[in-house]
Amino acid sequence: MDPEMDSQLKIGFIGAGNMAFGIAKGILSGNVLPANVKVSAPSSRNLGRFQELGIAVTHSNIEVVCGSDVVFVAVKPHLVPLVLNEITQHVTDRHMIVSVAAGVTLATLEELLPENSVAIRLMPNLPCLVQEGALLFARGSHAKQEDGALLRSLLHRCGLVEEGPEAWIDIHTGLSGSGVAFVYLFAEALAEGAVKMGMPSALAHSIASQTVLGAGRLLRDSGKHPAQLRSEVCTPGGTTIYGLHTLEQGGVRASTMSAVESATERARELGRKSTAGSRK
Amino acid sequence: SVCHIMSVGFIGAGQLAHALVKGFTAAGVIATHRITASSPDTDLPTVSGLRKMGVNLTTSNKEAVNKSDVLFLAVKPHIIPFVLDEIGPDIEDRHLIVSCAAGVTISSIEKKLLQYRSAPKVMRCMTNTPVVVREGATVYATGTHAEVEDGKLLEQLMASVGFCTEVEEDLIDAVTGLSGSGPAYAFTALDALADGGVKMGLPRRLAVRLGAQALLGAAKMLLESEQHPGQLKDNVCSPGGATIHALHFLESGGFRSLLINAVEASCIRTRELQYLADQERISPAAIKKTTLDKVLQQPGVTVGGVANGNGKSGLSLFNNHGSGLKKKN
Repeated sequence: MDPEMDSQLKIGFIGAGNMAFGIAKGILSGNVLPANVKVSAPSSRNLGRFQELGIAVTHSNIEVVCGSDVVFVAVKPHLVPLVLNEITQHVTDRHMIVSVAAGVTLATLEELLPENSVAIRLMPNLPCLVQEGALLFARGSHAKQEDGALLRSLLHRCGLVEEGPEAWIDIHTGLSGSGVAFVYLFAEALAEGAVKMGMPSALAHSIASQTVLGAGRLLRDSGKHPAQLRSEVCTPGGTTIYGLHTLEQGGVRASTMSAVESATERARELGRKSTAGSRK
Repeated sequence: SVCHIMSVGFIGAGQLAHALVKGFTAAGVIATHRITASSPDTDLPTVSGLRKMGVNLTTSNKEAVNKSDVLFLAVKPHIIPFVLDEIGPDIEDRHLIVSCAAGVTISSIEKKLLQYRSAPKVMRCMTNTPVVVREGATVYATGTHAEVEDGKLLEQLMASVGFCTEVEEDLIDAVTGLSGSGPAYAFTALDALADGGVKMGLPRRLAVRLGAQALLGAAKMLLESEQHPGQLKDNVCSPGGATIHALHFLESGGFRSLLINAVEASCIRTRELQYLADQERISPAAIKKTTLDKVLQQPGVTVGGVANGNGKSGLSLFNNHGSGLKKKN
């Protein structure tokens, strides 16, 4: 995307939580100047880390909207209707509203915003905090391809950015939003296995996390199918194949598939509830 | 090729001999009149099958030996020692002895034959029943005195009926577990797949045909592809589609681990049987009655009332005294 355009772009955040912070960091490592970024939150609690980055802070959501071209709505889902009601009069056709609230549908967003508003729904995940997020966005009815491209270029330093139909956002939530927690569970269990076999806990945890990280990088950067990489680690009659057999006997694959399924179903349910709830 | 001038013998005229001969003749790698098979039991269906193919049948193991250059030992593992004792004196320098018996080591065979020849040429192979349709999976290991040419000859023969490669002997038990028993796993899967088809409304014959073709086609794709089977699987699974739903069921049932368990169990059991054989004790009850009777009819063979440490009597398969069996005086 056009770096000159990026540097003139004004970005606002309503909400100063982890998601907002992670996205802000990613945006700043592109061409956007800190002076062109503003964040609002009701309390000063979370604003310190934004200020450290040179970002302007305020308690006024309206001030953020009026001073921005792209506004990230990064509040808790149940607060979204409140916030949108508050800012809607100040939203113009130059604005792009990007919601990162789980379960809040594009239909809900467009209902609460002025007609013809450019709305995009974005689902990031926790590792945005370290610029290794997985982000999926879906464009609203009035968001054009160029809007998607702009968002993509803003976010590309946050991690992997992909676009999809809104139906995929719940799946992305199950896979990658919740998926992060599934990985943490696995890492914890790896470490516990090591502790059982006699390794001190702190070391086991540190090695477990590096193992997950290293394996993840290799998977992403090699471009190989995970089954291929798995086979490459398994020497005949070696330790790995023995361990894998135990995992298979435990039905890890099936329960992992089911976990993604459950999380996705729940995301869909929450989406239905929030849609129902927001109808007045 | 050498296959056209040499003769092949089979000690044993059961499933294995029948399958191999059927495959060899379909491949045209050897003429049936150059094949001799011996069996004490002339009533076996495989015996008449072999006869119909033009194979020379005999009840004399010695005759099979004399009429062959490559001699397949195609009898059950616990019969091998009896056979070796019987034919030992008739083995010549030209003979290549190929044992197909699961769990019977090259060294145990060589030990026996060394009483009769200074450099017996022994090979061990593990094949499987689909040799009958020329889609066998065969591995072989080369004995101490077998030459490179012997290996090539065997490979030529076995490659005519499917895939064949040489391995180190210590891998043969694993091969048994995988491709030796493998067709049985496949038949079980196919039976069940057909049941699934029938449950969902297909006529049985069609269900069997389609199931078999599906597995055949998948196997062929894999053999001809550079891709990992995991990748090929992904290529079949459209998002949210029928196949991925079905796969989830398979995973929930522990499909993969069951297959791993099966290969492992077959391999371990093979080793156990080999261990039992090496222990040099096997109770007569473990040998099928009819076979034992016929074997005992051979001259010089008897069940010894051999007392061993735990008071049980049994047939001694391989012992240090060379003949392996307590002979009648």
